[in-house]
Amino acid sequence: MHKLRFLNYITPSFQQPYQKYGKIEYMAIPNFVYKGNRVLLKELTKTDFKLRYQGSLLGYLWALLRPLMMFAILYVVFGQLLKFGGNIPHYPVYLLAGTTLWAFFTECTNQGIQAIVTRGELIRKICFPKYIVVVSATLTAVINLLINMVVVAIFALFDGIEPSWTWLLAPFVLFEFYCLALGVSFLFGAINVKYRDITSIWDVITQALFYAVPIIYPISMIIETSDIAAKVILLDPIAQVIQDFRYLVITPETITTWSYVGEGNPIIKFIPIIIVVVLLVWGSWYFRRKSKRFAEEI
Amino acid sequence: MDDIAISVKNLHKSFKLPTERAWGLKQAIFNRLKGIKGYKEQKVLNDISFDIHRGEFVGIVGRNGSGKSTLLKTLAKIYFPEKGSVEINGQLVPFIELGVGFNPDLTGRENVYLNGALLGFSNKEMDAMYDEIWRFAELEQFQDQKLKNYSSGMQVRLAFSIAIRAKGDILLLDEVLAVGDAAFQQKCNNYFASLHGNQTVILVTHDMGNVKKFCDRAILIEEGKIKLEGDPKEVAEAYSKLWD
Repeated sequence: MHKLRFLNYITPSFQQPYQKYGKIEYMAIPNFVYKGNRVLLKELTKTDFKLRYQGSLLGYLWALLRPLMMFAILYVVFGQLLKFGGNIPHYPVYLLAGTTLWAFFTECTNQGIQAIVTRGELIRKICFPKYIVVVSATLTAVINLLINMVVVAIFALFDGIEPSWTWLLAPFVLFEFYCLALGVSFLFGAINVKYRDITSIWDVITQALFYAVPIIYPISMIIETSDIAAKVILLDPIAQVIQDFRYLVITPETITTWSYVGEGNPIIKFIPIIIVVVLLVWGSWYFRRKSKRFAEEI
Repeated sequence: MDDIAISVKNLHKSFKLPTERAWGLKQAIFNRLKGIKGYKEQKVLNDISFDIHRGEFVGIVGRNGSGKSTLLKTLAKIYFPEKGSVEINGQLVPFIELGVGFNPDLTGRENVYLNGALLGFSNKEMDAMYDEIWRFAELEQFQDQKLKNYSSGMQVRLAFSIAIRAKGDILLLDEVLAVGDAAFQQKCNNYFASLHGNQTVILVTHDMGNVKKFCDRAILIEEGKIKLEGDPKEVAEAYSKLWD
């Protein structure tokens, strides 16, 4: 009863309109529509973006150069020396798409998990919906991804890939990927406030995931060794997203979760999507529940 | 009742202070296994109740660690109350600290817009009051300098100049009175004097001179409890007797 009454009152800038009437709102969906929140989100994202590359000579170019350099190294080692590309058409673009998406995922989750702690100063001193901090930190990664997608498209055209209508479906896959990264950010970001070990643990997990996802090697290589292993790998949403993206943009010969897993039981095909939905809902619910104590615990 | 701006009833708040470095996963698991609570409860606010009427200028005083900042942060909704209730009628503008979110690597202009967004202003509103902010701060010629090149006094002046644009029914002020040099302080004092009588203000301060000058009523907090409430002069006197 008392708590209910407490939620009644409003602070000027970041009121959540539905609390005016004393109803506790249980949905985890953030209120982007409210103007004050939108302005704050925009300003924080702008600040993050400006500060990221400040004081460096090449400035924003680094956002483009990093995935390209990673691609160059991997291409020389795995494409040219180890001949991983095999019979995959357009292997360089195939590899570039994989490294770009991977770079987005690590950047997005790292920034997202750290967000609450790095913005601790704000959280200790003003009252505003905490998710804004996480979303603004991940949006910088989204902007970088979108610019890098242009680079991938240019590479694809130069490599002789014909643009097709399936390119229009790629944004949906990218959106799924962002939902996954956001879910991870909310969940681990909330735990990270109390246990800073999460940052290091997530570092190790991403290192392991990099090799558990068909980025540098084609999934066909795994199929040769173990069919089961390949199927398990394709149930990882990251693998599903990367393979779907390659399927839509580069070549329909790509093996995807949809084509390779769950022949007898089509429900299995949806496991990656279910993982993403569960992580996002659970992550934001947990974040919301913990967020009222952030100001004390940081 | 209609003329009550803030009503606090039986407010309790305690913090869980971690004991012997329970600040990591290893220690947390270790404590869980041994059945040790990794924290100690520290009671900060203990059964606080008061009402503040519309248009009242109320001072909250107390020694360091008496719980007055926690009280203010609970009113500002930064902390949630553990027990009891806080009811606020009207829009509340908290100034817990000046220049929250100021970033040394951004220019003055960028910081003004960021700080404005944190106070809840839209870009349009900011555009409209932008020039006035700089004029009041007397820093017009530094707009495009990075904030790290400002002196700390200049930074506070800029922050103060933005903060007073915030419009609401109730102002929460935490020791922001004494900023800048004598001339600027005079300006601030004029601003506060202008609030007197028109606006509901809660002021947390150590400066008994300000309490006597501005407040209609004062509340003395000691160890999380209200020790004295009433006439500012009496409260100021009781406050200075805390050391004897």
